[in-house]
This record gives sequence, C-alpha cells and structure tokens, in this order.
Amino acid sequence: MNLADALGEGLQVTVLGLSIVFSVLVILMIVLYLFKVIFYKDPKKQMTSMEKALGKAVEELPLNEAKLIGMKHVPGGVEATYTTDKNHNEPYGPDDIPEEELVAILTAAVAASLNTSTYNLRIKSYKRVGGLSSAWNRAGVNETINNRF
Amino acid sequence: MGSTGLAAMLGDMRAAFAAGDILQAIGTPLMIAIACLLLYLAIVKKFEPLLLLPIAFGMLLTNMPMFKGSSAIMMHTEFFTNPEYMLDGSHIDIQRVVSEGGLLDLLYLGVKLGIYPPLIFVGIGCMTDFGPLIANPKSILLGAAAQFGVFFTFLGALVLSALVPAISFGVKEAASIGIIGGADGPTAIYVTKTLAPALLPAIAIAAYSYMALIPVIQPPIMKALTTKKQRQIVMEQLRPVSKTEKILFPIIVTIVVAFIIPDAVALVGCLMLGNLLKESGVADRLSKTAQNGLMNVITIFLGVTVGATATAESFLNPQTLGIIVLGLIAFCFSTAGGLLLGDLMCVLTKGKVNPLIGSAGVSAVPMAARVSQMVGQKENPSNFLLMHAMGPNVAGVIGSAVAAGVFLSLFS
Repeated sequence: MNLADALGEGLQVTVLGLSIVFSVLVILMIVLYLFKVIFYKDPKKQMTSMEKALGKAVEELPLNEAKLIGMKHVPGGVEATYTTDKNHNEPYGPDDIPEEELVAILTAAVAASLNTSTYNLRIKSYKRVGGLSSAWNRAGVNETINNRF
Repeated sequence: MGSTGLAAMLGDMRAAFAAGDILQAIGTPLMIAIACLLLYLAIVKKFEPLLLLPIAFGMLLTNMPMFKGSSAIMMHTEFFTNPEYMLDGSHIDIQRVVSEGGLLDLLYLGVKLGIYPPLIFVGIGCMTDFGPLIANPKSILLGAAAQFGVFFTFLGALVLSALVPAISFGVKEAASIGIIGGADGPTAIYVTKTLAPALLPAIAIAAYSYMALIPVIQPPIMKALTTKKQRQIVMEQLRPVSKTEKILFPIIVTIVVAFIIPDAVALVGCLMLGNLLKESGVADRLSKTAQNGLMNVITIFLGVTVGATATAESFLNPQTLGIIVLGLIAFCFSTAGGLLLGDLMCVLTKGKVNPLIGSAGVSAVPMAARVSQMVGQKENPSNFLLMHAMGPNVAGVIGSAVAAGVFLSLFS
C-alpha cells in the first residue's frame, strides 16, 4: 500500500468509524435524557410544593407567630425548623457557633497538628478556605475513594 | 545431560547462530528476561498485577527451552498461526489441538474462539455502576470522543507501514493496533484474535502495560490541554438515579447497539448482561459468581494463554516495536480527544463542566476516573470529580466496544 492509498483508506475508515461511534452514543444520550424526563422528579420542585403546604400550615397556627426558618431532607421526609422570634431573619447554621468557642477549637487543632501547647499560640484571625464542606467531610470522602477505587 | 532444557536451548542457539539470525539466537534468554521484567513490574511495581502477572508467567512457560516434538511443550503457537498446521490453511485444526496440544493450547482455544473476552465483560458489567452516566447523559459524548485515538492510530499504522519498509501492517493489523487506544484489554484481545492473531501477544502486553501506566501517561496531557481555572471547576452534584432506570439501561443499550452495529453485541451484550444481573437485584448469586469466581478463573486462563503466545519468533521483531510506539500514540490521542471535547463542553456550558473528566473517556475503569479525580483535587482540594468522571469512563467501555464492532464488521 503506498502513502496515498494508506491515507485515503485510513481517512475513510476514520470518518466512518467515528460517525458510527458518535451516532450510537448520541442515540443512547437521547434515551438517557428521556429517562430523566420520564422517571426523575426534581426534589426542588417537590420541596417548593411541600414548602407551600408547610408555610400554609404555619400561617394557620393559633399563635400565628411561628416562622419557617429552615428545611432539609431527612430519611423518610422533610424536617422543618420554626421560630417564634419575630426578629429572627436568618436560618441557624454553623456560623451561629460563638466566636470564642470557634477560636478555642481552632487553637486546639493547630496545637495538635504542630505538636505544641495551646499556650504557645495566639489566633489573630481565621478564614474559611476550600469550599463549604468541612475538612472531616473531605477526609472521609478521600478515604472512601482510596479504599474503594 | 543431553535431554535437559539447557541442552535444548544451547542447541537452538547454535542453529540460529549458524543461520546468522542473531536476534533469534539470543531469543530464549531474552524472552525469559522480558518475562522476568514483567513479573517484576506486576509484583513490585503493582502494574495491573491481576493480568500482568499471569501474562508474564505464561510468557515464561512458553519460552522454556524444549526439544522439538517434546510432549512437555505446553503451547504450540504454530497450531494457531502457521497455515501448514491448519485446515485449508486458515481454520484451526481442533482435532490436532486436542490430540497433540499441551495444557495451554487447550486453554488458548477460549481466546481463539472468542469465549474469554465476552465472559470477562459479564464480570465487568456486574462491577460497573452506570448511575453516573444515566445522571449526566452528555458525559456519554466524552466516551465517544476518546475513541478518536483508536481511529487516528489506525490511520497512523497504515501510514507508518507505507513509509517504513521493515513494517508491514495491513488494515486488519492497523485496526488491532488502533484498538489499544480504547484502553480496554478484553476488547483489544477480541479484535486482535479475529483480525491479526499473530500480533496478539504484543498488542495484549502493550494494552495492559499502558493501562497500568495511565497515572503516568495522562496527567501531563491533561495539564497541557486545560487551564488552571478549568481544572478548578467544581461540578454540580449528580441527580439520584432510580432502580427502574438502572434496570432499563442495559436492556436498551443492548437493543440499540444490536440494531446499529451487530458485531459489537458479543462484547456490549455480555457487559449489559452482567450489569442487569447486578441491577435487577433478583440474581444476586449469579452476579456474585460472575464478578468473583467466573471473572477470576477467566482472567487466569486469558492471561496465561495470551502470555504463552509471546514466543521469541512472534515477539522479537520490528513490528512489536512499532506496536509499542503506536499503542502509546493511541493512548495519548484518546486522552486528548476526550479532553478537547471536555474543553468544548466547558465553554458551551459556561464553565459548568470540568474538562478533566474528558480524559476518563478512555475505558480503563476505574483507573482513568481516578486520575481525573487526582488531578482535579491537586488544583482544588475540595473538588470531587470521581463520580462525574465515572460517567465518561463507563461510556468509554461502550464506545470502545462499538469501535471494535466497527472494525470487525469492516474487516473480518
């Protein structure tokens, strides 16, 4: 086979082969999008309807002072958090930990990793880095990945 | 003393020297050294040890010096490749294999008749979770793009053959070499045993060695074809996938593939059978057997017999060197194909897709997905790309089986 023949035949098979591979996988992609349409119910939409129902239930409370401040999925349903504090505008979260406690925890963690005493350290400032998930969470996922794959 | 293996080896070496064939004269000791090197890589370096170890030991067994016609010979490669020993010059003489063949000859029938690779696919199917692919359908395109290397190398092999007189690859040989880029050992073996049986040892060893070297080969290409900002992209969490979807998926894939490319059904169908055994939840015993007992038995048979085809005559030639170089090219271009489509998806989705998951489109489950995770996490420690990369990774298995079907339907 000379170079021109090799290039001609090679290109022909390459174009044909890639077209077949792409067409089979594109058809499967369309089937998978149909799966999504038929079988998948978006929990956000479900949440909205549930939220409406729960919000309505709160409005109907006799005191009419309870306020829905948080909602999350738990096994078996949805857990809603209410407050009767009229001035409360933010849901509770990790930021609600008192700052002194947080500084004490950070000092202890740094002392443990540097193998020194907390008396030798002074935390001047702290800043969350690397996304919202906790270091414990990340370490757990990393360990699972390393063990299972 | 005259009947020892050492005497047989020295006799062969003398005969080859007298004929002026230096490479074959040192063939036996050289092949034993290569087998020991592969054993070292499998045991000490842990390069795909489950397959490389049986392959290397099969290679060692077949290259043990024996006298011609000895009943101790375990493998007669000539029964499968030399027209003089075959019926009509092209079909295996099963009667001869059964009556005169050694243990490895009998086991090799499973490769030659195309039994082992599909059975391995049943086991792989049982171990594969197509959930990430079902949750993110567009990732299936990355598995298709990663087949670019397969066809590019096919083209490369033909061009190399036209340019280098010492190498003569026809379309069948070029197709068998190209499929190395699919990074799927059983698929490469399945195509090669049909199209170019003489190249089977070199292609199988190249395919498995490069699969083991994925963590070394892929990261530099991944860094070269993506920006730091792209590598740091955190992707949205995948949606949960219902059991119904997971059960329907293998059935529909089998039907679609069979309608379009029937030659791929032996591989894809078995992969999907294994997956259905697992996902249906009603055949737990079969699923456990397929992914443990059956898979392990077949892996031993396949590894040892493929290794046993690597005799000095079939392995020590310029073509093997060509296959090793082209195999690497196939791997690199498959990785690049997936990454480039990943880059395009990243641009089209305005930064929602991390292009690193594209490199996982070369099958090699789960090694390639793990490399995407590793490289992504280096840039952003809180980024978990593994499950996102598993989508293209399992799509790559389907893609390479379809590419194999294309070659088989065109050239067999």
